[in-house]
Formats: sequence, structure tokens, C-alpha cells
Amino acid sequence: MPNLCVYGQENSEAKALPMDTLNCFCVEPNKEVLHSSMVGAGSSTVLDTYLSPYDYIGTEIRLQRETMRMTKLWQGRVSNQSFIDFNVAINENRTGNHTEYAGGIRYSQGWFYNFAEGNVVNPLERSASSLNVAAGVAASGYLGAVCIDRSGNNPAQAKMEMMLDASGMVTYEMPIARHRFLWRYQVSVPLVGVAFSPNYGQSYYEAFYLGDYDRNVVFAHPGNMPSMRHRLTLDVPIKRYTIRVGCVAQFNQSMFNHLKYHSYSYDFMIGFNKYFYRR
Amino acid sequence: MKLFSISKNRMLINLLMVALSLLSFSSCVKEDYYDNSKLGNYEALWRIMNEHYCFFDYKKDVLGVDWDEIHARYAYKIHERMTDDQLFEVLCEMLAELQDGHVNLSAAFDFGRNWSFYEDYPENYNDSIAKLYLGHGYRIASGLKYVVLPDNIGYVRCESFEDGIGDGNVSAMLHSLATCNGLIIDVRGNGGGALTKAKTLASHFTNEKLLVGYVSHKTGKGRSDFSSPKPEYLEPASDGIRWQKPVVVLTNRAVYSSANDFVKCMKLCPKVTVMGDRTGGGSGMPFNSELPNGWSVRYSAVVYYDQEMNHTEFGIDPDIVVEMSGTDLVQKKDTYIERAREYLKNNR
Repeated sequence: MPNLCVYGQENSEAKALPMDTLNCFCVEPNKEVLHSSMVGAGSSTVLDTYLSPYDYIGTEIRLQRETMRMTKLWQGRVSNQSFIDFNVAINENRTGNHTEYAGGIRYSQGWFYNFAEGNVVNPLERSASSLNVAAGVAASGYLGAVCIDRSGNNPAQAKMEMMLDASGMVTYEMPIARHRFLWRYQVSVPLVGVAFSPNYGQSYYEAFYLGDYDRNVVFAHPGNMPSMRHRLTLDVPIKRYTIRVGCVAQFNQSMFNHLKYHSYSYDFMIGFNKYFYRR
Repeated sequence: MKLFSISKNRMLINLLMVALSLLSFSSCVKEDYYDNSKLGNYEALWRIMNEHYCFFDYKKDVLGVDWDEIHARYAYKIHERMTDDQLFEVLCEMLAELQDGHVNLSAAFDFGRNWSFYEDYPENYNDSIAKLYLGHGYRIASGLKYVVLPDNIGYVRCESFEDGIGDGNVSAMLHSLATCNGLIIDVRGNGGGALTKAKTLASHFTNEKLLVGYVSHKTGKGRSDFSSPKPEYLEPASDGIRWQKPVVVLTNRAVYSSANDFVKCMKLCPKVTVMGDRTGGGSGMPFNSELPNGWSVRYSAVVYYDQEMNHTEFGIDPDIVVEMSGTDLVQKKDTYIERAREYLKNNR
């Protein structure tokens, strides 16, 4: 096989494809990079007992940026995903007399073993099979905050964690008419890591101004941080572009130092994909 | 083209789904909710205090407060036909048993409080007379009003620690007062604010790092679940001017919260004399929470002890006790300021 060729010339199956589905001209899989950007909105439910014993419910905006590429590892079966996930929510308590602002940014770097052969980064390449299952791990870091609009010594809570996540994804290519649509479902579950938490009644004044450490760095595992992040997307080729629509469901929970936290998000997302060839 | 095994994938997917299902159904992190009824709000308030308030043991020793007995006693007063005003009154009555100025219930129509720490005592401060000492030409450094009195004594009026007092403000003020023979810092009526601002001001009156007390916070829901006390130090100001001459701090019963902490620190500084009435106290750092109906509740959450591990929740005694004289009031004189000037004149 040549390392570089015009898409469709060497692959007889691809000749049947309309030109508007062709997104690149390269076939060396590990050189190809997918960039996906998405924006979305949805509902948010946040509980943080350091601030209040009740859920705050509202709406949120979410931005996601994903980069995927194949690597040469394990005979080219390992793909790499870097992911940035940013969200900000404005919530209210059930009587509507207090507002809460919650948000944060998560960055993760993951490696996936693909059970299917071929280029799974750009499944429009016919070297990929129609169904692929991938499983892997990701190192993720999160920085965020939850604030309530009332004065006092506990108006806000910082969120910090560094985790090793288990992650799996399933992609399925669905031909409709002369176009090929790509479904992808991904789930990530934090496994082990460290997270920040004040102690049950500890003030931030003690932790940061006086420097009194009291179990503020917590060993996190599914027992005290049972969380999951789901993502379902559909890539729709439209002429020379690929639109991506999807939905996100995140269930982030923790129970550190007798403080309970959960953040449930459900968002509808829309964005686009771009394919690049790395020299 | 080589396709992977479908059956192997199905098995993997099934395993993944089973694992996710187990995880999602077995481990929701939730908090027990109370409904927004009269009884629900009552129980929610009692429980918030029960799990978070930091002075139960101390108040039991000093005031005989039994929080379980209080629950039983006030539960009889709650019924679903009562109005919000009546509920508010009963809840405030229950909280008042703790005799804590940091314990408040806040609704749109009222602010529940127990301010007996100063309302039951002489005020020992007359704003109109104190203003005569400041005159019209006083300067203001981030809330600190100051002037040089005719006998070359600097007078500083500190009404609150809610202003953004910084090292630069304090140093500029002390620079202006540098030629004075002594300094009066009047914190009467100062109900507190930010603890960091109180520490910033106090740090300009010591040249050495001082152990000023200990701090302990709750580590769990039990009434006696506390962290081991950690020492709290006052570091000398690293930037600007440190005052080296005699200082008198004027106090009354309305000195509360971080102002009380300021007095605690100043009392340990060299060349500082605390003069006036006992302070109001308030040594618990307050946190906020809320009830199902949206009313806000504030409570003491973190205990601050003095240098000898004593509570200062009910105030700090002055070095020299002073009471406002009726004769002075008639003559439009402030007994506290006059006594402080006399003291500084005799103790240069």
C-alpha cells in the first residue's frame, strides 16, 4: 500500500461514494487528526452540602473540543483522544430566592485500544469497519467552582481533581441513501485519583490563610466518587462538511469528609468536525 | 479488510452495560430532604444546627443548653395552620436559646437575632460626642477615620472590618500619626467583618510573631466531632510601618466577631492597653445555610480560642474598666477618650 494516495483511487469500495462525503486525501491513518468542536445547552442540578443541603436546578451552557488521532502503538490499533469540556450553569434553589453559579473545565488525555482494524479516526475512510468498540484509560484533570449569591464564610466551594478514568466507546457507521452517518457513544468512569475538599466544617480561611491542612487532599475512588460521563454523537456529512450533533449526560458525584456533592447535567450539543493531515 | 469478532464485542458491550447499571443504581449521592411544610422547616432548622453548630458542648456547660430537650419542647409549638410569621417567631425563639449573636434566621420580612450581648448592657458610646473629637478635618484610610487630638495623641475610629483595610492604608495612616505621643484605636460598636482585615490592622502593632489562639472546626455531624486545635499566629506586618509607641484600644459590649478577635490579638501586643467595657464576644466563625422555604440561617461553625484555649464567645475583659460618666455626657465629653488620653499622657 502506498503511504499517500488520492482517496478513492486505490480503494474500489470508495469509488461508490459521492464526492461530497470525501473529507481528505490521505490514507496514512496515524497522520490523520480529527478536530471536533461542539456547543450545547441543557439542564443542571447541583447539590453541595458545604453550601446548602438542597439541590439547585437551572440551565447550563457547555463547550467541548475533541482531538482524535490514530497512533502507531499496538500495530496501529491505539487511538489517542484529547478532550476539553467546559460548562457553566446558573441554578436556583426551589424557592427561587438564591442563585448559584457552577462551572468548571475538564481536560483529559486518553488512549483507546480499537477492536476493529483500520482508521477509526475518520471512519469515512473505507479501511474502517462499520462497527468498532474501543476501550481505554484517560488521565483527566478538573478545575471548577460552585458559588451561591449570599455573603458569609462559606459562599463558594472549589472543585479540583486529578483522576485516572476508564473509558469505552462504540462507533457504528450507518449508511443512509448515499451518505454514511456515524454514531458514537462514549462513557467514562473515574477510577482512582486525588481530589480537593475542605473538611466538614473547615473554613477556607483556615485552609488557605492559616495554612491548616486537614485531609484536604482526598484519595478518590468509585466508593467515594461514583461518577459517570456519557456522550452520544451523530456525525452527519453535508456536502464537504461534517456536522456533529449529540447529547451529553454527566453524573459527577462525591462524598468526601462527610460533604456530599452531585452535579447532574443533560445537554444537547451541536458542532462540526474537521479532518487534518499531520505531516 | 479484516473485521473483528462480533461476538467478542457483544460480550464486551454487555459487560460494560452491566457494570454501568450497577454503578448507577447502587451509588447515588443524595441528601435527605425535608418538605416545605411548617414541620419540615422546623425539623430542617433543628437538624442543620444539630449537625453544624460548634458550641453545643460549651453552651451546655455555661447555659445548660440541651439541644434534644429543646427539640422536644419547641416541636409542640409547630402546627400546619400557623402563619409564616408565627413559624418565624417560634424558630427564632428556639435559636435564641443558644444566646449567640452569630445565629440568625433571615426571611424577606424579618431578621431573627439575639443581640442581648450588647442590648442588655450600657452602650458606653455616644456617636454625637465621639464625632466632636474627629471634627471635620479628619482623614479616612479605607474606613479608618483618624485625627491628631490637641494633646498630640492620635485618635483612630474603626467602625467596621468590612472595609478593605490593607497594609498600605494602615501604614499611610501611621505615617501621618508618626509624631503623636500615643494612639487611641476606638473599636466601640464595631460588629466585625473580615477576619483578615482585623489581623492586618493588628499586625502593625507587634514586632514578633505571636501565638494568639487556637482554631478548631467540625469534622463530622456529631456534636463533639472536632479537629484537634491548631495554633493561630499573628505575624508582624512585613510591609510598611510598625507602631512602637503606647496604644489604647477602646472597647464596649458591641465589639463583636472579628472585632472581638482584633481585641484578642491587640491584648497580646506589647505597649497595648485595652480600656473600656467587656467585649460582646462572638468567637465562632459563622457559616450560612437555608431552609426548604428559602429562609437563610446563619450559625457559628468554627471555634476560635484564645492563647490559653479559653473561649471568648462571651467576650474579653479589658485591662482597665471604664464607664461613661453622666457628667461627662452633659459636658459633651467622652469619658473613654478622656481616660485614654490621660493614660497615654502618664505612660509615654
